[in-house]
Amino acid sequence: MSDTARADASGTLPGDLMIWVLIVSELLVFGAALGGFMAVRTTDAAGFAAAQDHLDRTAGALNTIVLLTSGLFAALALRACEVGSRGRARLWLGAAAALGLVFLWVKGLEYAAKAAQGIGTETHPFFTFYYLVTGFHAAHVVAGIVILGLVSWRDNVANIENATAFWHMVDLVWVLIFPVIYLLR
Amino acid sequence: MRVWADNPLWRAWGGLMALGALTTLAAARGGQVAAPVLGAAILALAWAKARLILGRYLDLDRAPAWRRGFSGVIGAFLVLLYGIYLIPAV
Repeated sequence: MSDTARADASGTLPGDLMIWVLIVSELLVFGAALGGFMAVRTTDAAGFAAAQDHLDRTAGALNTIVLLTSGLFAALALRACEVGSRGRARLWLGAAAALGLVFLWVKGLEYAAKAAQGIGTETHPFFTFYYLVTGFHAAHVVAGIVILGLVSWRDNVANIENATAFWHMVDLVWVLIFPVIYLLR
Repeated sequence: MRVWADNPLWRAWGGLMALGALTTLAAARGGQVAAPVLGAAILALAWAKARLILGRYLDLDRAPAWRRGFSGVIGAFLVLLYGIYLIPAV
């Protein structure tokens, strides 16, 4: 285990400070979007509930499993790299990225189903937020997959630690998005 | 199997799956439980999942002050969302 790579009992943040600045920034952006969603919901709770009925909660739950499992694989990649197992680290990173692609595929199916029903961003304010928040999150998944690919190539502990921290931020945001947009009625 | 049980990351993943199952169970009882109770349960489960991700996946268990800070802010944010959620029911 690298002394510089892991946080210690004194309370040092793991990884570079800048990745944490990015994580906090992203949490603030998604937090503002979810806060806005809840605030607008107060103006038409019945309309939001009716619109929410068009969402595929099973797909959302499946994507939660997929993304959290992908997060596990990313964390295992870092642990493998820390003990010098580069091949295993690359395998875990590849598995994490592959599950990221599965997440995007399921999300794509959801969007296609909405499009087939004629549901777009202008259909109802609920869907404006739905597409905005989940689309922005999906863009982060795409970025994360690219980053995981890059650190598979430049595979040192610091790079993998920062990449996996970004990936876990994507996990963290999803576990807040899913209940607020898909489940709260 | 024992290797998985001994690994904190796999245990965290198991915890996340269990919390996900509880969330699904709670959401499925939508018509049987009062909405404010259900909403509180769903957001509390989300907070529990966030804490596991912060502590184990992001390794903040090794930086307890930071873990408490992040968990506290996210918890406060979810309480705020819950407060807004209750407004239509007032």
